Amino acid sequence: MRFLPLVFVALAAAAFFVFPYDLAFLTRILIMIVLVLSVDLILGYAGVPTLGQAAMYGAGAYAAGLFAIHVWADPVAGLIIGGLAGAALAFVSGLIVMRTHGLTAIMLTIAVAQICLEIANRARDITGGAEGLRGIRMEPVLGLFAFDFIGQTGYWYALIVVCVVFAALAVIGRAPFGMSLRGIHESRDRMLAIGAPVYWRLVLAYTLGGAVAGIGGALAAQITQLVSLETLSFTLSAEALIMLILGGTGRLYGAVIGTVLFMTVHHLAAANDPFNWLFVIGGMVLAMVFFLPSGLISLGHALKGGRK
Amino acid sequence: MTMKLTTTVAFAAGMIAAQAGADTIKVGVIAPFSGPFAIYGTLYQNAIDVYQAQHGTSAGGHDIEFIYKDVGGPNPDQSRSLAQELLIKDKVDYLAGFTFTPNALAVAPAIEQTQTPTVIFNAATSAINAQSDYYLRTSYTLWQVSAPLADWAYDQGIKTAITTVTDYGPGIDAENAFKAAFEAKGGTVLESLRMPLSTTDFTPFLQRVKDRAPEAVFTFLPGGPPTFTYTKTYNENGLRDAGIKFLGTAETEESNLQGLGDMAIGLTTAYHYSAAHDSQMNRDFLAKLEELHPGAVANWASVGAYDGVHLIYHMVEVAGADGPKAVESALGLEWESPRGPLKMDPETRTVVQNVYLREVARNAETGLLENAETGVIATVGDLGWGK
Repeated sequence: MRFLPLVFVALAAAAFFVFPYDLAFLTRILIMIVLVLSVDLILGYAGVPTLGQAAMYGAGAYAAGLFAIHVWADPVAGLIIGGLAGAALAFVSGLIVMRTHGLTAIMLTIAVAQICLEIANRARDITGGAEGLRGIRMEPVLGLFAFDFIGQTGYWYALIVVCVVFAALAVIGRAPFGMSLRGIHESRDRMLAIGAPVYWRLVLAYTLGGAVAGIGGALAAQITQLVSLETLSFTLSAEALIMLILGGTGRLYGAVIGTVLFMTVHHLAAANDPFNWLFVIGGMVLAMVFFLPSGLISLGHALKGGRK
Repeated sequence: MTMKLTTTVAFAAGMIAAQAGADTIKVGVIAPFSGPFAIYGTLYQNAIDVYQAQHGTSAGGHDIEFIYKDVGGPNPDQSRSLAQELLIKDKVDYLAGFTFTPNALAVAPAIEQTQTPTVIFNAATSAINAQSDYYLRTSYTLWQVSAPLADWAYDQGIKTAITTVTDYGPGIDAENAFKAAFEAKGGTVLESLRMPLSTTDFTPFLQRVKDRAPEAVFTFLPGGPPTFTYTKTYNENGLRDAGIKFLGTAETEESNLQGLGDMAIGLTTAYHYSAAHDSQMNRDFLAKLEELHPGAVANWASVGAYDGVHLIYHMVEVAGADGPKAVESALGLEWESPRGPLKMDPETRTVVQNVYLREVARNAETGLLENAETGVIATVGDLGWGK
């Protein structure tokens, strides 16, 4: 297990050389991993169900896009702005959402994303509305690596961001804060009884998740040079959740594996049969839920016959 | 993964072969083939099939191959990455399709950089073509049909109107076009109502229209369910009886028309194509379509694609895979289409075409509803260019 992170990075680096014509697609997987990781922090660690993570992702994307157009086109600065925007939105909405549980919380997360979507749609002069925010031209990363058409810089840039986010979440997960989130997930009452400030811990977790999603959105804005209303859509939130469930919740590797699996199958199925590919996706999700309810990450465990 | 690897290897081999002299020109078609907008993908594909059945699969000694990519719906991110994939991996020489404006706009940097002629089969906002010289549009723009309709209405003695449009890009384009043309003539737009995209009940909007009692109501709605509900409400709330004339554009298009039923009879629209267009070429087109895809409908998206393919064939014949030369050869090109005569306007790169005034009527022979053309009200290019 110690070397698992290295294996993943090595695989990602190998993918760069094996699929030189698919970098745009591989980069989209990396961006999606950041979003799914943020869902994992909120749902997998803290146990708060969410179907509105796209709100923070979109906020980060629009913030980074607008920042690049009007203020400064430096990619790293843009990531920080995107992260801050995601965190700010998550904090404000989290103050309300975290007062509720279960279905109510889900409804509220959906509502927040829908409100953001409608605001972005209405504020046409700022966001470009349905036509999307265009005209994002990024400066080279760290002033050294210019974004190229084939997407080589974009790929490495996204990969590094994924690694940093992953490492940060791994540290948080092992820190007392992460432990207390797991505690809240297991039993909220017990955590309350031992005096943990459950509400504020959850708000903080939600804010952190928002920051990560915002970074993902910023990454998407910088690499595709475009922000559309889709970044705030319900579909995106739902797909992120499906990817996480496919991979396995509560484990960072689950988020990575689920995203890679879902997007690869999606891509291959849609490329081979652009008309009926949705059947393949549906079938895969059904099969997974029936046979591996804890996600792909539990495959080894299940094969040994030790299903929970 | 192995499959992926095989494709990559096959592709690499293919590239070497291509350089050795084998000659296939590839056209990437980005359109929705799944989900609620899948009808567009089907319409394009049917039209391409018809064109190929009529004219073969090669032009000027080059074989032409179409590669279809599913973009799902209005999704510019996806559109952009599909374009990148087509250009880098599949090495396509032309791009085509594009149902939604944001999807078309999203590929502008990519086609500019790779000098790839891109033929828009549908997306109808004027702003698109200004983003790159490589856009060519064989559909129409909202200005192109809405402004002549406003002129015509004024000439018919209609002096006051209310516009009701769906609140998104194309709707606002239509509103601006109608308003500008109508007011330029001397008419008055009493009010401009914008209805949210997700509206399912139009009663409040139409009640308001009825209360203000204009002589006509101009509308722009996305195809499908909103049109049913809107026309139903228009009739049931007594707007028709009150003599408020319905003025529309694509609302009565062929794929939804039969579903509208008798309540659609008499609706007035201005548009560039009706499947009932009276010409030999249109009849041939429809006959071939029926032969290849029995029961398929033809509407404006079909002719957008059909003429788009014609344009691509022409460009391939003249210029092969040379993008700038291909676009050059397309400018000013005139040809006959199932919708009537067309000319590619060299300035706006949108076709100059007839705008017909139509009224929904029941065809005496087939018993089906159709958009009966009552005349040409204008022959214009993109009137929204630079606005």
